[in-house]
Amino acid sequence: MKTLLGKLVINYPYLFAVVLFIIGTIIVLTRDNLFKKLIGINIMESAIFIVFIAAGNIRGGAVPILDGGRADTVYINPLPSALMLTGIVVSVSVTAFALALIIRLYKSYGTTSARRIAEMRNEVLKHDSSHQS
Amino acid sequence: MRIRKLLIIIVALLAAYGILVAVAELPPYGMADNPVHNHVSERYINKALDETGVTNMVTAIVLDYRAYDTMFETIVLFTAALAVVITLKVSKRKEKG
Repeated sequence: MKTLLGKLVINYPYLFAVVLFIIGTIIVLTRDNLFKKLIGINIMESAIFIVFIAAGNIRGGAVPILDGGRADTVYINPLPSALMLTGIVVSVSVTAFALALIIRLYKSYGTTSARRIAEMRNEVLKHDSSHQS
Repeated sequence: MRIRKLLIIIVALLAAYGILVAVAELPPYGMADNPVHNHVSERYINKALDETGVTNMVTAIVLDYRAYDTMFETIVLFTAALAVVITLKVSKRKEKG
């Protein structure tokens, strides 16, 4: 009978991906600096890429480039690699736009701390409501 | 603040346990008869050279079989670049005015 741990050892690339994903989640939730939150999001994306690339791998398989060699060569699955190219492009786009938004926030508030930005916004909202009433 | 961090770590560990239970049920890593390696990838591996004339299968998929995907991918990239330029440009104009 295979325990949970035994199955996880067999699926060790997925295990590493889960560890990376949880590290990214903890960084996003605990860090205050917006840049560090963005790095956490990037770590989570890398975990997803690892899951897909690992799913397409075959032990002892050749890279999916035809070299006119033997006919019985086992090639690894080229489809997940091709899909992850798209994923990397989306990841880069999200990162670029998030960085632009953080720069914009820094110009408006003078800080990249998410907590202090929220405090400043709360103060402004309180100020506005007291003026109206 | 300390309690919040502790709570976050507990929730993350619970989520990790849930994902690990799911990962343990995946087919074993690196086997040639996994359901990932179905007729689609077989077709790409066996016919890529005849149908596209490219020896690199990943290139054949990205630039030939799924060329529309790649085209709209560049649109995603273009939109992101446009959004970055617009976001940074508006702030400059406000500072002047």
